[in-house]
Amino acid sequence: MLVVLSFLLPLALWSAVSYVPWLWHPFVRVTAPGGVDYFIEGMDVPRAVFAKEKAAALQAGLVAPAGYPVNPVYLPAPHKVARAFFTAFKTPPRLPNEPWLHESLGHSIRTIFWGFVISSVFGIPLGILCGSYRFFSKLQEPFVEFFRYLPAPAFGALCVAILGIDDPPKIAIIVIGTLFQQVLVIGNTVRKVDPALIEAAQTLGARGWRLVRRVIIPATISDIYTDLRILLGWAWTYLIVAEVVGTSSGITFFINQQARYRNFDNVYAAIAMIGIIGFSTDMALAWLGQYLFPWKRRRRASALKSSVAEPSPSSAIPMSIG
Amino acid sequence: MNASSLALPDYRQQRPEVAARFQRIKERPVVLRIEDLAKHFGSGPAARTVFDGVSLDIHRREFISIIGASGCGKSTLIRIVAGLEEASAGRILLDGKPVSGPGPDRGMVFQGYTLFPWRTVKENVMFGLEMGGMDRSTADAEARQWLEMVGLGKFAESYPHELSGGMKQRVAIARALANNPRILIMDEPFGALDALTRCKMQGYLLQIWRKVDVTILFITHDLDEACFLSDRIIVMGANPGRIIEVIENPVPRPRSVEQFLTPEFLALKQRLDDIIHAPGAAEAEEKLPVVKLTEAGDEVE
Repeated sequence: MLVVLSFLLPLALWSAVSYVPWLWHPFVRVTAPGGVDYFIEGMDVPRAVFAKEKAAALQAGLVAPAGYPVNPVYLPAPHKVARAFFTAFKTPPRLPNEPWLHESLGHSIRTIFWGFVISSVFGIPLGILCGSYRFFSKLQEPFVEFFRYLPAPAFGALCVAILGIDDPPKIAIIVIGTLFQQVLVIGNTVRKVDPALIEAAQTLGARGWRLVRRVIIPATISDIYTDLRILLGWAWTYLIVAEVVGTSSGITFFINQQARYRNFDNVYAAIAMIGIIGFSTDMALAWLGQYLFPWKRRRRASALKSSVAEPSPSSAIPMSIG
Repeated sequence: MNASSLALPDYRQQRPEVAARFQRIKERPVVLRIEDLAKHFGSGPAARTVFDGVSLDIHRREFISIIGASGCGKSTLIRIVAGLEEASAGRILLDGKPVSGPGPDRGMVFQGYTLFPWRTVKENVMFGLEMGGMDRSTADAEARQWLEMVGLGKFAESYPHELSGGMKQRVAIARALANNPRILIMDEPFGALDALTRCKMQGYLLQIWRKVDVTILFITHDLDEACFLSDRIIVMGANPGRIIEVIENPVPRPRSVEQFLTPEFLALKQRLDDIIHAPGAAEAEEKLPVVKLTEAGDEVE
């Protein structure tokens, strides 16, 4: 119920600003220029200017201009965005060599998928090593900590120089942006494993690598999974940056292109789509997690029931859209 | 308690069958020998001695309890025996051979529940067997036998979070015993359970101990528990930690709940109480700086 309300409240605010004429609406759309010689039909004029010109026209005995209050073009009304949501997929691109919206989205998802997979292939094992062994933690973490502060977009030019202008540099930027966080976050999660479980395993004869494989990894794997869900949200942020590197592509290309044509309803629709994709991916992963880690199921359910303030699993995920 | 103590027999007085039993125990081989063990934390002037000069011989299939006020180092002592901590001096001999580091020959049951949450009850019991290199199907059959023994055969496929506290500790005992340890170390294993469950668990433990060839080293701060379960009771004192007295329990076996009121039991408990709560041994109950928050005349006592 509150979940629905959490979406409805901002939507209601947006609708109010869009549909209630005396809320904000700083411009006047001219329907008839009347006696003002520089007014054109369909032109947006600031309210104060319109009022001044109207007064001037009346004083001069000319026909008063007519118009109605509007919001700036960059704030389309909800119904326009909703319409754009459906028409965007059906609208052919303006130029024959430009991609359709669904192609742009597919391209973005492919980029983020490979970026995240490559990052995880290195990040998860390194994180587990750092969390399990002091030796690896001391060996790697200071450098990783340093590298983490180097902004991934700063590597854009370098990536293009090395990897060309197509997808590889974009994937590389997502990897750079995600990998180092991943090592540290997973390392930290692994370090938080209950020491009593490790001691119990030791008194049962587990040691060395088998202790890591049979106790530390299974004890932390569900928390690592949650970490990955959070990190996937970060990867979306880097995607938007990565897509303007080299040849602009994917959803960012679509957004920039539509903004250039001043189709702001399409821009909002595309941004909302990123949100929906991110949110639904996360929901799907959360649902999948319940089946992957059955021993966690009851505990999570009871935690949700016991406290109202418990954040829903998805609200911990920083959404990358603006 | 003090008023009635005059009528109690000497706690060192043993019936002939009890004395004969202790004679037989002492003739058995020594399983665990603790030699002049000491533990210090830190170094230099800030060093703190947890305990010093602790020596003890434990014979095969003996049930030993260690009891003492908090801070006497009893937990540290058995963590060293289990290999989870290192001694500063002295050594531990298991069957005459010095040991270092944790190993499956010294099983341990902890106070907190340390079952692996991602494994079913049966898989928990199988863990040590798998670590010992046993193949899965043999380990599976073995684990089922142990679960039957602690009365939890029905719960083999359950996850630990589906069990009650007492059941979890029974699984933990089965898991430790499945490895065929020479000695089973138990660190206040029933401390987190409610009184009724604890009483039942003590009965279970005695039953298991009778059936399995295992020596038990049991830590507790519950005097009744120590009197009810053990052959010998090691009383430790604090500041610095040391063994004050080793008491041979005069209560005859087999033990039952009715014995809680026998003269031997009461005499033993009285003695333990005297040592542990001796003046100076433990701080007097502190006056808490609680401001009175009730109205005058509204007294509870």
